Amino acid sequence: MNSSHSESELVFGIQELFKKHPARRSSIIPLLQEIQEHYGYVSPPAVDAMSEYLGVSASEIYGVASFYTQFKFVPPGKYVIQICQGTACHVRASSIVLEALREELKVEPGHTTSDGLFTLERVACVGCCALAPVMAINGKVYAQMTQDKVREVIKEYRQKEENKTGI
Amino acid sequence: MNVVIDGKTVEGRAGETILECALRYGISIPHLCTHPALPPFGACRICIVEVEGMRGYPTSCSTPIAEGMVIRTQTEALRLLRRNILGLMMLEHPSACLVCERRDLCDKYRPKSEKVGATTGCHTCNNKEVCEVRELSADLGLAEIMVAPNYHYKPIERSEPFIDRDLNLCILCGRCVRICKLHQGKSVIDFVHRSSQTHIGQAFGKNLHEAGCTFCGSCIDVCPTGTLSDRYAKWFGRPDRITETTCIYCDEACALAIYAVNNKPVMAKGLYDKWPVCVLGHFAIPEFLNSPQRLRTAQIRVNKVLRPVTTEEATQRCAELLKNHMGKNFAFVCDTSSTLEDRHVFKKFTQEVMQSPYYFEIVPDRKGYARFTNIPEEVKAVITTGSFVPQELRDKFEVVISLDIFPSEWTKTADVVCPVAVFAEVSGTVLDKDNQIRPLIKACNPPGEAMPEWFVVQQIAKIFSPDKWKEYQAVEEITYELGINTAKLNLDRETAPPASQNLKERREWFKGHKIEDYVSGLVAVRNFEEGQDHEEKAEVRLEVKIPENPLPFMVLSRRELVPNTYEFVIHAPAIAKKALPGQFVIVMVDENSERIPYTLSDWDERKGTITLVIQEKGLSSRKMISVNEGECLAHVVGPLGTAFEIKHYGTVAILGGCYGIGAVVRLSRALREQGNKVIMISEARSHYMTYYKKELTAVSNQFIQTTIDASSGEKGHAIDALKRLLQTGEKIDLIVAVGCPFMMMITAEETRNMGIKALCALNPIMLDGTGMCGACRISVGGETKFACVDGPFFDAHLVDWDEVRDRREAYSTEEIQAVSYTMPSTTLEGEHRHHHCSCMERG
Repeated sequence: MNSSHSESELVFGIQELFKKHPARRSSIIPLLQEIQEHYGYVSPPAVDAMSEYLGVSASEIYGVASFYTQFKFVPPGKYVIQICQGTACHVRASSIVLEALREELKVEPGHTTSDGLFTLERVACVGCCALAPVMAINGKVYAQMTQDKVREVIKEYRQKEENKTGI
Repeated sequence: MNVVIDGKTVEGRAGETILECALRYGISIPHLCTHPALPPFGACRICIVEVEGMRGYPTSCSTPIAEGMVIRTQTEALRLLRRNILGLMMLEHPSACLVCERRDLCDKYRPKSEKVGATTGCHTCNNKEVCEVRELSADLGLAEIMVAPNYHYKPIERSEPFIDRDLNLCILCGRCVRICKLHQGKSVIDFVHRSSQTHIGQAFGKNLHEAGCTFCGSCIDVCPTGTLSDRYAKWFGRPDRITETTCIYCDEACALAIYAVNNKPVMAKGLYDKWPVCVLGHFAIPEFLNSPQRLRTAQIRVNKVLRPVTTEEATQRCAELLKNHMGKNFAFVCDTSSTLEDRHVFKKFTQEVMQSPYYFEIVPDRKGYARFTNIPEEVKAVITTGSFVPQELRDKFEVVISLDIFPSEWTKTADVVCPVAVFAEVSGTVLDKDNQIRPLIKACNPPGEAMPEWFVVQQIAKIFSPDKWKEYQAVEEITYELGINTAKLNLDRETAPPASQNLKERREWFKGHKIEDYVSGLVAVRNFEEGQDHEEKAEVRLEVKIPENPLPFMVLSRRELVPNTYEFVIHAPAIAKKALPGQFVIVMVDENSERIPYTLSDWDERKGTITLVIQEKGLSSRKMISVNEGECLAHVVGPLGTAFEIKHYGTVAILGGCYGIGAVVRLSRALREQGNKVIMISEARSHYMTYYKKELTAVSNQFIQTTIDASSGEKGHAIDALKRLLQTGEKIDLIVAVGCPFMMMITAEETRNMGIKALCALNPIMLDGTGMCGACRISVGGETKFACVDGPFFDAHLVDWDEVRDRREAYSTEEIQAVSYTMPSTTLEGEHRHHHCSCMERG
């Protein structure tokens, strides 16, 4: 969790989201989706607020949320890197590409780098198997990746960020 | 409606399930996740049955009966399915002991389980004696584990007040989640994450208090495995007496079942499945009543000092002191925590014997706090049944007689102190908040010479006026005199007590004593409430740098080899210089620690280090494994014992088990260097318990791994592999067995008629380790030997194995008492085992 945000900031406007859903158990998933879309992830204060609104325990809500890979519990980075692990990518060695990303970014899939720049995610298929192995950064697809190529791409993004902050 | 179960026509009740109906007629269907207190769930599928006309195998716990149903519960297909379902479930539970061929022998040799940190089998499981999984596996004839089981390496959770949780034992039946929801309205815990990662937990890994737990303990009551345990009660074993009585911490007067072992209370729980009890009812009774601080003997003041005396002497003194303070000079002060019978006797004593109008019954406030200040001026002598009177008023009295349970400022300045029996230690009746009479049934014995309050007062009365006082022989006579019809008493209630839903509503005082002073877990609860979490040691450890010149007995490295077993490398150059194979050291962790003997696993004379392999088995070894790298032990003395005679024997089979595996490394190397052919056989319960494979392979000519569940290497104990070797024509000249007494005992028994010499390494309780105290004496071939100087190696065929076991267990009651405190453990809980253990090396 980004410590620069106070608890109240993390749930700012959450009551507005609640208004759209009745206060009952069946609203858990739609509300989680709404929260994720609005805040980018599902934070502990958001779950506590949901718990109070729905009358369902925080652990139960967390149990539901942690069942689905679509819900994130940490703020996403500026760039979300999706590395495909689908069949076509898998047979074309996407695992070693993921390995290179892990080493380069020093995070596990599902986590965000400490500088808040990158989030590493495993996905099942991006829908362009002919280009396998595939990586996508904020929706932009990179085709036929190798260990060297991903390092190169990451370097470019870092360079771009440095230039921005340098000016 | 009529249904047919296994060919028998029975009458079903509308709305009941097949399982309920069958059980009602005494037809047993194996079941696991279902529980009488809980609505149907159908998670484990053990209770499947066949129903004519229904597809597949419906779960009997969640299928309602219907008119004309024809149900079969015991077909061959069902038996096979159930066994396989349990087998699959057992892949994620330490299950080797369930399929062990020596299970009966083990139960016979060591019926009680051994207290450990992480449980890796039934023999080290706190739930062993009452385990539903064990029963089920016996019923279903579970005989093998189909593929290698999966151990999750989850850290054991010992950092919560009162509750230990070891998720490595969890079978995900969901009983705890469901009872939490039922009893608390919302579930504080739930299933979190998915598929193989699913476990029981709190949102975002919060602690239980943050997640809203009230510590009602209901989850522990329904857990069928050893996953959830009552930290205080867990190692006492099966209770020999269960008594239904009433809780008197507050006037909710909840019905409780008190579990006792040897007349000592060890556990309490609510009597009704429907309602939880509060934290005090579940967790604060045994630790409170068993507190070592309890008053045990009567005391009288002699020349300003309190001296212990017999109860008779004390009551005699009371009578003497009170003689001159009759009438309005005397007052009796009690509170409503005394039984109606006690209070009847107090009142009668005050009015009839002392002829005083000053009988005071204080009603404690919401927190149980009782204070009495309104004492009339003329009162010069007082009897109190608790520490209620402010100390400032002490000087107003010439005579203070204190009937109490714990020492306090008040008892310390009293003229006579009489220890009394209270709560679950007495019978009688009490009033609840609605003025309904509730029964109190004696569930355990009081400590020392403590007697019920009424009894002590009657003793005084008898001395005072032997003619007038009509003596009660038993408390029932008083109940009768009060006109209470005991036949009509009951323990029923209609709602959950408020404190079980709101932790803050709990009582804090009992008879003028603060309950948390005697129940350590309550201090932890308060710390959580006040926002003081206990220190986190794990983070500190990461920064440790070992200096170039380590301090004496500094721990240079510490790693968990396999669950519950640790390897320590310790700086001890003097020992490393002198050590010989087979010798041991005695370790004192701190200045006040027990002295524990550990075999020298290895040593390095050049580096000045020694290596020990240590299992957590109780308080002292727990202290030991809690020592971090860079910290120093108070003392290590050694090398001790007679070294193993290293010479040419021919072919030597070394059998190692548990901690014994670590103990034979150097021995094996030395024997091989002398030209022996060393066959090393290492046994473990399961693949995740094997360690030192590389090390042992390097120091032996042949290495054989055995596991009880056949998940790594050969199936069975080390002795089984040895027997197989002998069958292939291998000639063995010497057998050396090093492991737990059970492993060495079976090795001795099963090699007795083979004509091969067998040695074993004995490690009884030791004190000085130099042959002075005799604590480690054992019988070998009818002769008394001292393991510390004559041993540790002895002829295994001559050892009296029952004596070895009995001597090791000589202090088991005290040992269990020593680990029975409810304060959370602050040591090493955060460590994730997986990174440190050798499991990653296994391909």
